[in-house]
Order: sequence, then C-alpha cells, then structure tokens
Amino acid sequence: MNLVIAEVGYAEPWWIQIIKAILIFAVGLQLIPLVLLTERKMLGRFQRRYGPNRVGPFGALQPLADIIKLATKEQFQPRTAVGFIFMAAPAISIITAVATLAIVPFGDVVDIFGTKVGLYGVDPSIGILYAFAFGGISFYGLMLGGWASGSKYSFLGAMRSAAQLISYEVSQGIALVGVLMMAGTMSLTGIVQAQAEQTWFIIPQAVGFVIFLIAGFAETNRAPFDLPEADAELVGGYITEYGGGGFTSYFFAEYLNVIVVSAVTTTVYLGGWLLPFGWHTPGWAMPLVVIGKTGLLIFLFMWVRATLPRLRYDQLMTLGWKVLLPIATINTLVTAVLVVS
Amino acid sequence: MSYIVFFIASIGAIAGAIGVIALRNPFYSVLSLVGHLLCLAALFMLLRAEFLAASQVIIYAGGVMVLYVFVVAYIGQSEESLGASHGWLRVLTPLFVGVLLVELMIATLGSGLKAIGTKGADISPSFGSPAGIGEALLTTYLFPFEAASLLLLVAVIGAVGLARRREGFTVGDTPLKAGEIPAVPPRGSGTMAEAAGDRPVAGFRGGDRS
Repeated sequence: MNLVIAEVGYAEPWWIQIIKAILIFAVGLQLIPLVLLTERKMLGRFQRRYGPNRVGPFGALQPLADIIKLATKEQFQPRTAVGFIFMAAPAISIITAVATLAIVPFGDVVDIFGTKVGLYGVDPSIGILYAFAFGGISFYGLMLGGWASGSKYSFLGAMRSAAQLISYEVSQGIALVGVLMMAGTMSLTGIVQAQAEQTWFIIPQAVGFVIFLIAGFAETNRAPFDLPEADAELVGGYITEYGGGGFTSYFFAEYLNVIVVSAVTTTVYLGGWLLPFGWHTPGWAMPLVVIGKTGLLIFLFMWVRATLPRLRYDQLMTLGWKVLLPIATINTLVTAVLVVS
Repeated sequence: MSYIVFFIASIGAIAGAIGVIALRNPFYSVLSLVGHLLCLAALFMLLRAEFLAASQVIIYAGGVMVLYVFVVAYIGQSEESLGASHGWLRVLTPLFVGVLLVELMIATLGSGLKAIGTKGADISPSFGSPAGIGEALLTTYLFPFEAASLLLLVAVIGAVGLARRREGFTVGDTPLKAGEIPAVPPRGSGTMAEAAGDRPVAGFRGGDRS
C-alpha cells in the first residue's frame, strides 16, 4: 500500500504515518489551551492584574471551563446568514491551520526501537510552499464566514482581513526567498540541515527574519494587526455573528496559526531542533528543543500584543506595501549577489 | 490510492467547471471556480508536478480568485441574475465552444489514444520539483521565460499608468491632490456627523433623527 503520491524527503511505512498524524494532531491541539492560559496569565501580569486564578489551582483549569462554556452555547445563526457556507467557513479555517502543522519538523529522521522515523508529518519537496498554499486557502475561511453572516460588521471585518492577508503574504514570501537561496532547498528539514552546516539563518538573514515575523503577526491577525476583529470599530469582525462551535473553531484556528507561524519561524530562522554553540541534540530531545523555541516566539507574540497599540488601516497598508515589501526585495537582491559571488 | 484521488479530483474539477457557468449567483460561481482550481491542483499533484500544484493554489486560489471574491462580494449583491445576455452573444458562444471542442477532439483523437493502457512517459521523480522546474526555466526555456517576464513587467507598468489617471476623491468640483487632506470630508465617507444625521447623505437613512 503506497500512500505517497508526491515527492517527499523520507517516507515510512503507512502505519507509522498514521500514528504520526494522530500524535502531531493530538500534541498540536493540546498546545492551544496551554497557550491560551499562558496568554491570559501573561496579559494579566503585563497589565498589573492577576489574570484567571479562580478555576482550579492558579486558574489552570480556566481553558477547560472556557471550552465547556463554548460547547454548551446555542448554535445561533442570523436570519440573513447563508446557512451552509456559514457552517462550513469555520471548518475551512481550522482545517487549513491543522494542515500546515503537518510540515513542521520536530526533529530529524531518528531511530525509535530500530525503526527509522522522521519526526515530522510529511516532508514534501515543495516544503514551505505547502504552508503558503494553505495560507492562501485560509483566506476563504475568514472571507466566507464574514460574507455568509449577512452582517455589515462581519463583512467589513472579512474584507479587512482579506486585504491584510494578501498584502503581507507578498512580503513574507519574498523575505523567505533569501533563506531558500542560502539553504538551496525548500524542504523544511533540508533548511534545518543547511543551518547545521552554515549557521542559524537569523544571523545572516536578520532583516528577513524581522520582516517574516511582522508579516506573521499580520497573517495571524494578532495585535497590533488585529484590525479584522477590532472590537471598538467592528464589534468582532468576521466572528461577530458566530457563537458556540463556530466561534470556538475560529478561536482555535487563530491560536493554532500563532503556534504554526512560530514553529515555522523557529524552523526557518532559529535552527529548528539544533542547539546553540554546536552542541549535539540527542534524538529524544529534538521535539523538546523545537517546542521550547516555539514557546519563546509565542511569548513574543503575547508581549507585542500587550505592548503595542493597534495600527490604523492606512498605516497597515503603508507598512505592508511601502516599507516591508521594498526592504524584503532589497534583502533578496543582496542575498542573491552574496550567495552567487 | 492514486485512483481514488484521481476520480475525486476529476469529478470535482468537472463539477466546478459546470458550476461556474450554471450557477446564477456570481458569488457561487466564483466559489465554484475556486473548487475547480483546487481539484486541478490535486490532479497536478498526481502527475508529480508538486511545484505546479503549489503555484496553482498560491497564485490562482490564493491570489487571483481573492480579487474576484472581493469584487463580487462588494458589487455582486444585486438581485438581477446573470442570465440576461445579448442576442449576438447567443449566436457567437456556441460557435466558439464548438470550434474549441473540435480542436480538442482533434488533439486527443489524433494521437489514436495509443497511450491508454500503457505506463506513460518515463520521467525522473524530481521532474516536477522546484529544482527541476527552475533548471528547465533557466536553461532550456530561458528565452520564453524572459519574454514572459518582460510582458508581465509591461502589464504592471500599464496598470500603474492607468491607475494614476484617476483623480481620486473630489470635494465639490475641485479634485484633491495626492496627500492633501480635505477640510470637509467628502459625502458618504462615513463620518460621525453623517451617522448622527447632521449632514444627510442621499440614499442613507441611518441615524435619521427627524
């Protein structure tokens, strides 16, 4: 039974692939409540208050309480909504977020009880383009949700998020070209292996790293780029009309996107599973190193959210098209010259 | 496995293509086209053309169609269906479709369908990988590639030139220069005064205090 329909780096027997898929899915989704709780606690500290501390020890059961609350809510749908698209849109959002998790490498190909297993979902030759493809599709989750709600706030929020997504996708892609040229491959495991030979790409590609990260903030609709759901102007943006399951899906997708963007940035710029100072990473520690670095980046997301005010819409567009895009292009050109010479 | 994917993707592609012309609501037509393009990407994937599949999704589904969705969502909300068409279109359309059909039939049947039942052309596994495509574009097909990029550059400059011809916002009769902020915001631009009904806008009834 051959499950492989595309060119991949290393493929295991089909039963290992299924176990891996379930494991990545389970671990990835378990990270969300953790991130959620940490974020609320951290925001509390940043704003000189306690944050959630009532449910369970130190408020640790707060995500569970949130989920029970959301799951038992009424599945409300406005009379003007377009039924089946209204229901399908959150699913698109969460599917694209989960699908991108598949290419994040948590480690190299390692020996587990005599079986060679690659610690990643799949390692396609198109690598990072896979993530961009699903990023492109994720637009339809937001857009259809906003359109099908039949509400002006939702529609405007969806329009904003759409414009934001396509504007910053360009700079993000071009910022990444520098790394692809230095690594000579698009495969994410290949990029980490290239960093083992050269150096972590955050050092030669510092400019690209900053642009990639800023675009990542914008792509995940996080502060200071959370205009699509700016509560002061748009009530809640494209999620205004959603309650219960639909809201939970969008919420999950947003936090999963934060995790995925952090993990991809870790892989591409921060050396993935490599340890600094040339220390060798044992096989069992690779996923821990990746998750640790990802956690640091997620903390940066929270920090920025607590620190920076929201941008105005024209500022957002100016930053994307007139600042980030030219810098990313120059970065790519300079890298090309340096790589060739 | 690949047969299942092939049939699902093929049926999806054909259904999407029919949906584009059969659906009356333009928004659903656009969504149908998106579905069609995604199914085509799956078919490319089966043909071992991963780079093409990814480009298809990123550029068409994630770029071009986004603009279609934008435009249709903004102005395609009218109740008027797309069904009405001019008389001469009704004559020309079947003609063009017929010519295209005959051409495709000649191309397909001209080969005598000899390839059915064989294993297909012998290609290396890295044929459709980014490296393979890049090498083909920059060695064998260098001239067509550069010519196409020149064409795109011309199109971009043309688009910028056309966009600059617009005068922008107008207050009264005097057009605003770029960067100039109007002392009085133009009508219908969503100011607080309009919302409260102090500067009523034609056709806007919200916030009417009378």
